[in-house]
Amino acid sequence: MSSPTLELGREPLLRVADLTKVYHSKGPTRSDLVANDRLTLEVRAGEVVALLGPNGAGKSTFLRQLAGQLLPSSGSIHVAGIDLVADPLRAKRFLSVIPQESEPIENLTAEEHVRYFGLIKGIPRRDSRRLTDEYLATVGLTEHRGKLVRELSGGLKRRVLIAVALASPTARLLLLDEPTTGLDPEARRSVWATVDSLRSRGIAIVLTTHYIEEAEHLADRVLVIDHGRFVAQGTPQSIIRASEASGHLDVYGVERADPNARAMLSELSSRWSVRFRRPDHWRFDVADPFAAATVQELERLTTAGLRAALAPVSLEDAYLALVGSGGNGG
Amino acid sequence: MTGTARQIVDATIMAYRSTFRELGVILAFVVLFPVGFLFFLGLIVRPQLQTQVLVGSMMMEMALLNVNVLAQTIGNDKRSKLWELWVSLPVRPTVYVVSNALTLLPFSLLATVVTLGLGAVYFGITLSSLALLFLVPAFLVIWASTLGIGFLIGVYGGPPRRINTIAQFVGIVMTFFAPIFYPLSALPTVLQYVAGIWPLTWGELLLVDLIRGALAEAGIAAAVLGGFTVVWFVLIGAGLRWRET
Repeated sequence: MSSPTLELGREPLLRVADLTKVYHSKGPTRSDLVANDRLTLEVRAGEVVALLGPNGAGKSTFLRQLAGQLLPSSGSIHVAGIDLVADPLRAKRFLSVIPQESEPIENLTAEEHVRYFGLIKGIPRRDSRRLTDEYLATVGLTEHRGKLVRELSGGLKRRVLIAVALASPTARLLLLDEPTTGLDPEARRSVWATVDSLRSRGIAIVLTTHYIEEAEHLADRVLVIDHGRFVAQGTPQSIIRASEASGHLDVYGVERADPNARAMLSELSSRWSVRFRRPDHWRFDVADPFAAATVQELERLTTAGLRAALAPVSLEDAYLALVGSGGNGG
Repeated sequence: MTGTARQIVDATIMAYRSTFRELGVILAFVVLFPVGFLFFLGLIVRPQLQTQVLVGSMMMEMALLNVNVLAQTIGNDKRSKLWELWVSLPVRPTVYVVSNALTLLPFSLLATVVTLGLGAVYFGITLSSLALLFLVPAFLVIWASTLGIGFLIGVYGGPPRRINTIAQFVGIVMTFFAPIFYPLSALPTVLQYVAGIWPLTWGELLLVDLIRGALAEAGIAAAVLGGFTVVWFVLIGAGLRWRET
């Protein structure tokens, strides 16, 4: 990542084939947990891939194997064509990782982090100062470079870790495990902007997230993982199209509705499924929110004094249809 | 300089920069505690055990505190997920372990030399020039031979809180149940054999023999400690639990 422009190779930077991770239980039941079940994936330069899935779906297990932290039970991982399991030291030169909820060293400055981790990863001493400046600028930390990490906000700390991840002469693949968890909306946007800028420099990024909006905003490709398997993958739009999820019609002002409007709502609920009924807000599932009949219903409701709005199928709807709204609970 | 050696140097400089910002705490921990022990025990033990008290205080600085700090550093790094960051770097585990261990070494070494000087004056112990010549290398081999204990506790100890508990427990066990504050001969015969598996026992023998001027016996203890050091570094270098299974 030392150069701002990278050659976009045709070969995938990351190739994962039939990756399986089984945790063997030591408890009395001796039941094994298949955390990742024959996962296959290719990621190319400049591509951002987001893994979405409920807690316990296998996202972090997958990413920790890609990072060389966890040995797979079977299957293969190649980074820049190098077998990560057989030759981890060489393969790890081409990847950088930001572990989930990781924190930088609180008694070091942002600049010291980038400089020393860069040197450890092989940046030549003569280039270190210049490249440190460049990495700090890339993540917008130039004005905070001399501050100790303990003086920085959560968002700035996360940016320090991203700069540390960038500080490598060879890494082309960035693995981010829930990079914005716990950040406020402004800090989250700032991390997103950094990810966007890295993509434009040809860095491939694989990230896990719980935020649908984040996946939708950042990812060229989304992989939905559930019970250790990819249950859908593609662009956010293709996942939405392929899903059986519904759009919805939101109706507000129900509490103050007159009898005529209430009768209309009651009649609608016999035809359309009701996602939820709150005192003042009902939501109906509608297969095609922009069909003429649906729009006509919306106009009727509005005429009856209710406020109504149609929403197309979102990635969140598609995601919930794929994994269920309850998640795996773990 | 090889790639690994260069990585150790850079990682150590990075760790020093962080450590120097906590110098007061480090000095209090590394110097005051063992020196306090030296003077307190010096007051209450019989004169023939005073050399042993001096040796025990020096062992505390060169071995016990280092074991404890290394284990707890790994525990803290696991808590902050820095451990995972290190595991994902293209470096051998040796780089991480040695740089962390080296961070405390100058302070430990300085504190041990100060303790030796204070103890020798306090107890009226005379040291031969040969003993003085070999003492610093002896401190270093004691330090190196016990690093693996801290590493094992840190790596195998599980979650950070458990690591801290184990490190403190092992520290107490090593302080009172390894013969460093009392002579090996004070233990029953069976326990003397058991004590032989601790590098601390050999460290105690090395320092006592050096202070007595028994260089041949000291050489044997140093060789055993060298063996411990080689075993630890082979294990660490082989990537012992660097990756989880």
